[in-house]
Amino acid sequence: MYRLFAYTLLFVVAMLFQIFFFDNLAISIYLSPLIYIAFVALLPMETPPIVVLACGLLSGLTMDWSMGLEGINTAVTLFSAFSRRMVMNLSIGKETVREGGVPTVWKVGNYSFILYLVLFVALHHLCFFLLESLSWELLPIVLLRFVLSSAVSICFIWLFSQLFLSKLSSL
Amino acid sequence: MDKLLEFIRSIYVVVVFILLEVAALSYYARSNAYTQARLLTRSNQVVGGVQGLFTSVRTFWQLGAENRRLTEQIIALEEELTAYREAEAEGRLRLLADTMRRLPYYYSTARVTTSSINRTRNFVTIDRGSKMGVETGMALLAANGAMVGHIVSVSKNYAVALTILNPQFQASGKLSHNPDYYGSIRWEGGDYRYVTMDELSKYADIHVGDKVISTGFSDYFPADIPIGEVESFQLNETGTYYTVRVRLAADMSSLSNVILARNPNSPELKGLEAKLKKRYQ
Repeated sequence: MYRLFAYTLLFVVAMLFQIFFFDNLAISIYLSPLIYIAFVALLPMETPPIVVLACGLLSGLTMDWSMGLEGINTAVTLFSAFSRRMVMNLSIGKETVREGGVPTVWKVGNYSFILYLVLFVALHHLCFFLLESLSWELLPIVLLRFVLSSAVSICFIWLFSQLFLSKLSSL
Repeated sequence: MDKLLEFIRSIYVVVVFILLEVAALSYYARSNAYTQARLLTRSNQVVGGVQGLFTSVRTFWQLGAENRRLTEQIIALEEELTAYREAEAEGRLRLLADTMRRLPYYYSTARVTTSSINRTRNFVTIDRGSKMGVETGMALLAANGAMVGHIVSVSKNYAVALTILNPQFQASGKLSHNPDYYGSIRWEGGDYRYVTMDELSKYADIHVGDKVISTGFSDYFPADIPIGEVESFQLNETGTYYTVRVRLAADMSSLSNVILARNPNSPELKGLEAKLKKRYQ
């Protein structure tokens, strides 16, 4: 029950943070963090794939509705949600993933958690920025946006995991 | 049935993902004109690439037959090209002949069947004879209009010409820029590229590279036919005239197509000369 509450809170805070802070704070064209992906990224490892997909769909639709970008967030988040298991297996290890639990520093270790976040966020952000630009001519700008935004997103998702899921790890 | 259900259960996440992804992407693609155009272009590139790959594989197996077909086509085209080249050479000669026909001489073309340049007396045989209107005394010019020789013998289908590379050949030449002075043209043997112009007045303004042309005194050759250009010259021992070494304008080593020129007044002139000979002999 507490887990459901924690994840609901995570979803709401991540969405609000994204909509009211990052989408309105135009710091630079190279800085567009997509921290809403934190909700999908930090879902428990044993979550059934179809549920992860549904969570991705929900996040994507919410962001598309709020950002006015029709379909792009949904498409990218669905893809990230679908690839999540593969990324987790690659970064955290199949054994740990099979054991389940909330993916945090305490559960999977510092190195694995950071690696997982980097891979997952990078995959999501790269797909998003490429799909958004739809042009190879803008590739240098896209790559710069991708690197800077991913770095900020990773920091925020790491922070969210510390804030919302630290208690869940100890349960 | 159970296996089918098991299979569907194992892939239903993938199916759901694909369906949702396609729906999201198509929604995004239709969201504005830019994304529509860009995604359409990209998808066409992907489809084109895949089709290109299949085509390449299909083409690979047809390469042998294609190669044979191309070889046959090359042979056919080579034959056609040769025919065109011949026609073009003939056409150029005809054009030249047509242009020259406006002059008092009659012109026609012929092809060289045999020619010699390395004998003491050199001749050229052409593939036109009396049947085609060739007569003795007709002038023979190279394709560039330069002096080559004159016809000395004619059969039904062939004719033989005495060339400029023959000691019996007689013609006179003059400098194109200084036509008041002229000399006689003769071949001294040896190099087929040069002839000698003798007895050119010492008053002639001569320089290396000057053009030497026919005088028109001969029955055979029209006036102003190119003979060659001055290679070198020197005054004779008595200092009365120049002996000029002339580089021939006609490339005697590669004669293939030639022009025949006939002076229509030649029989009349010859008749008159014969009468005079009889009277004063």
